[in-house]
Amino acid sequence: MEDYSYSVPRPVIDYNAEACGNAVLCLKCVKACMDTGHNLIGFMNTNDPPVGENAPKRLEDIHHMIIFSGMINCPGCGKCIDACPKKALTLVMPEPREHASKLQRSDIVFCVTNRDGSVTIPRS
Amino acid sequence: MCKYCAEYGNGTKWYLNPQNYRDELYRAEGHENTVRMLGGAQKNTFEVGAMGQVDIMIPDTNYSDILSMALENMTAHGGQIVPLEDALKIIDLCQEPFVLMHCACRRYFGRSDVLRCLFFWPVANTAIKERPWEKDTRLLTREEAREFERECDRTGFLHSIWHAGVNSDGIPAIVMCHCTSTDCIPTKFRVSYGIMNSQRKGEYVCSVDPNECKRGCKDVPLCMKRCNFGAMRYNPVDRVLYIDPQACFGCGLCRAACPKGAIRLMDRSEFPALVDNW
Repeated sequence: MEDYSYSVPRPVIDYNAEACGNAVLCLKCVKACMDTGHNLIGFMNTNDPPVGENAPKRLEDIHHMIIFSGMINCPGCGKCIDACPKKALTLVMPEPREHASKLQRSDIVFCVTNRDGSVTIPRS
Repeated sequence: MCKYCAEYGNGTKWYLNPQNYRDELYRAEGHENTVRMLGGAQKNTFEVGAMGQVDIMIPDTNYSDILSMALENMTAHGGQIVPLEDALKIIDLCQEPFVLMHCACRRYFGRSDVLRCLFFWPVANTAIKERPWEKDTRLLTREEAREFERECDRTGFLHSIWHAGVNSDGIPAIVMCHCTSTDCIPTKFRVSYGIMNSQRKGEYVCSVDPNECKRGCKDVPLCMKRCNFGAMRYNPVDRVLYIDPQACFGCGLCRAACPKGAIRLMDRSEFPALVDNW
């Protein structure tokens, strides 16, 4: 695991929670992403809702934030950024990088143990 | 039989063992916390939050086996696909009333809100108390719950049974969800990222009788669009459909669409190669 430094490049959407406020009141970016067919934007409660007498009576009473999931499927179309009325989202496209075959696990050699106990090393 | 049935099945499947539905288990130390969390107010923090963390958790999708190994010991929550027959048996094992709640996976990603999560009673009580903002919750009797299961099978929703954590005294089953792989968070984890512990395959595998299948719907295989896991292969020359047992999750939804009844469920243990394929 030490040399396991490769990560699949994917767009990242920088989310400004202060500018957004309570996300459940708007959800225009969620709708915009679903209209593109990718459906990668969701929303969740920022903190655990209180239990008991102070429990929220409506979904809108809970403070929500926007989450992004499965961004490996994001083409970076930017529809969500255009849809946001508060300019809370910024699209960050990934840096171009080396192929995994050049970066990844070059130290591993796949050996074969034969029936007589000897070991064949395909490349040395 | 995966490790859950071996350890908590008491000779049968873990979700058909009545010991896993007893009141003491839901209240036992170690279980009480997770049962309350997954049924109560913190449910969405756990479940939707996991979906929000997926990009950080999985930096390299080429090597999902490494992640799967890391999550093999995540025993706080998990589930398994069940076919209609077993779903009806589970309904018979549980206490009345059942509580039908909205599907968090759909609502929190902007899809239309549907009532698809069937909580069992001691857990459902927590859910009603701790989540008063969900006003569309419905109480179901046992007979209504059975009818709901049949309706899900007709319309093409998977049945899956969920537990609230593994401990030495048992594995409490808390909820039965009805979802599809496009929306369901754990099914997405399983299908897209290969995380076995998020949703295990069912105890069955579907099998097609090719002779019956040839006389059936022919060019437009009706069962194929109901498969959520891409386990069906259509051969346009012979006009017959094959099932890949390695990919089949054993949900049995395809059976309901077949006009000839050519698909049947076989026990997963009948395939020697599927002994550890969960």
